[in-house]
Amino acid sequence: MTQTAHMSSLQTAEIVGFERVGLRYGRGPEVLSDVDVTLPAGSFTFLTGPSGAGKSSLLKLCYLSLVQSRGQIRLFGQDTALLPNAQRQAIKRRIGVVLQDFHLIEHLSVFDNVALPLRVSGQSRETYANDVVELLQWVGLGHRMQALPPTLSGGEKQRAAIARAVIAKPDLLIADEPTGNVDPVIGRRLLRLFAEMNRMGATVMIATHDTHLIDEIDARVLRIEAGRVFKGKPPVAEVAP
Amino acid sequence: MSATNLIPEGTLLPARVSNARALWVVLIIMALLAGAAMLFARGAMRLSGDWQEQLGSTLTVQVPLSETAQWQDRMETTRGLLLDALPGADVEIIDQAEARALVQPWLGNTELPENLPVPGLLSITLAETRLSVAQIETRLAQGGITANVDDNTRYADGLRATARRLVGIGFGLLALVLSAGLAVNIFATRAGMHAQRDVIRVLVQVGATDRFVARLFVRQAALRGALGALIGLGLAALLWLVLSFTSAEQEMFGLGWNGLLPGLVDLFWLVGLGIVFALICAIAAGITATRQLAAERKRL
Repeated sequence: MTQTAHMSSLQTAEIVGFERVGLRYGRGPEVLSDVDVTLPAGSFTFLTGPSGAGKSSLLKLCYLSLVQSRGQIRLFGQDTALLPNAQRQAIKRRIGVVLQDFHLIEHLSVFDNVALPLRVSGQSRETYANDVVELLQWVGLGHRMQALPPTLSGGEKQRAAIARAVIAKPDLLIADEPTGNVDPVIGRRLLRLFAEMNRMGATVMIATHDTHLIDEIDARVLRIEAGRVFKGKPPVAEVAP
Repeated sequence: MSATNLIPEGTLLPARVSNARALWVVLIIMALLAGAAMLFARGAMRLSGDWQEQLGSTLTVQVPLSETAQWQDRMETTRGLLLDALPGADVEIIDQAEARALVQPWLGNTELPENLPVPGLLSITLAETRLSVAQIETRLAQGGITANVDDNTRYADGLRATARRLVGIGFGLLALVLSAGLAVNIFATRAGMHAQRDVIRVLVQVGATDRFVARLFVRQAALRGALGALIGLGLAALLWLVLSFTSAEQEMFGLGWNGLLPGLVDLFWLVGLGIVFALICAIAAGITATRQLAAERKRL
C-alpha cells in the first residue's frame, strides 16, 4: 500500500473504538464502566477529568498495556482481544506513547532512548540517526543527545519521552499529562508538535488537567468522571453516545 | 561526519550489572569443574586404551619343568619355537631367580628349596603376527614343548570394566555440572529479567516482540557463558598441562603419561566443551526469557 493510500484509508476509518468497555483491577470495583469511545482517524482529542477518575487506565487500554475486563476494544479495526502477541506488538509499533513518569531507560543516552522505537522495528542506525538528531534539536535537546536520563531535568525528560513517542511517526499518539513538567513556552511548543503530528495524519489523544492547554487547540474534549466518559469540557454531564 | 559516527550505540541491557560478580565466579568454577570432569573421563578412556593395548600385545608362556636342570635347554627351545611362530615378536626369557621371586609371595616368607621345580617363564611382546593362544600352544606342542600360554584376558576384562566405570563417572560428573550450569543460568536470567523489568516494560511498550527481548538475554547469557568457559576451561587446561608434565617426576600426581602430545586432543575437546557451555547458557536464557514474557502477558 502506498503512503497516500494508507493515509487515505486511515482517514476514513476509526482508529480506536470502545464498546461497553469495563475495567477492574483484580477483584476490586470497576474503575471504568460501559465506556463507549470512538477516535476517528486524524482526530485530536483531549481527555480530561479529576485525578483518579480513570484517565490513565483508559489510555492504558488504548496502548494495550492493560486488557479490559469486559466489552470490546478495536484498534485500527482489529479486535484487540483476538490478537496474537506478534500482531499486538505490531500494533504497538503504530502507537506513540508519552507517559507521566517518562519511562526512559536510564543507562541509554537520550539519543538511544529516542531511537528505541526505530531500533525495535529493525531499522539500521544509519537510516534513523539523522532523523533522531533533527527531532532532538527541534525539541530543544540537541545539546543533550549523549546525556543519560538521570542527569536530565524533569522538563528535559518529558521532551525526550515525547520525542521517542513521535520519532516513528505513529498513526496514534497518546500522551498522559505531556506538559506537566515543562514551562508554558516549552509546553506550547510541544503542543504544536502534537498538532503538527495530527496535521500529518496521526490521531492524537492527550490526557490533561491543564484547561489552558485545552483552550490552545480546537479539539474534541472527552471528560471522565468516576469511570464514565462524557463529551465536552464543561462539568455538565453529557453521556457519550 | 554523520550522527551515526558521533554517537556510540548503547546496549539495550546494561553492560554492567550490580551483584554480577558472584554469578561470574559460579560460572567460572562450573566451567572449571566441567573441564576437569571431561578431562578425567578422556584421561580414563585413553589410559584404559593404552593399558588394553599393552595387555593385548603381551603373552606369558609357562613351561612346566620336572627338574631345574632342564631349564636352560627347554627355555631356549621354547624361545626358538616362539620366534618361528611369531616373526618379529620380542620373546624374553624370565630368568630363574625372577621366576622364583614371582612364586615366593604365595609360599610365605621362607626360602624356597633349591630343587623346587618352578615353571620356566617367557614374556612375549607381539609385533604384527598374532596367533590365538591355542595356535601357539599347538605350535609349541609340535616342537615337543608342553606349555600354558596366558594372553592376560582375565586382567583385560577387569581393567575394561574398571575403565568403563571411570569413564562413566567422568561423563556423569560432566553431565551433572552442565545441568547445574543450566539451572544457574535459568536463575540468572530470571533475576536479570526482574532487575531489568523497567527496561523490558519500555521495550514491550515500543513494540518489541518476545523474540526481540529474549534475544537480548540470550546474547548476554551466551557472552557470559563464553567468557566464563574461556576462563574456567582455560584454568582446567592449565591444570591438565601442569599434571601432564609433572607425571614423570611425581607419579602420585601424574596422569599416566608425560608431555603435551598424548593429551593434546583433549584441548580440542575443551574448546568444544566451551562452545557447549556457552550454548547451554544461551538456550537456558532463551527458554526462560520467552516463558517469563508469556507469563507476564498472562498477568495483564
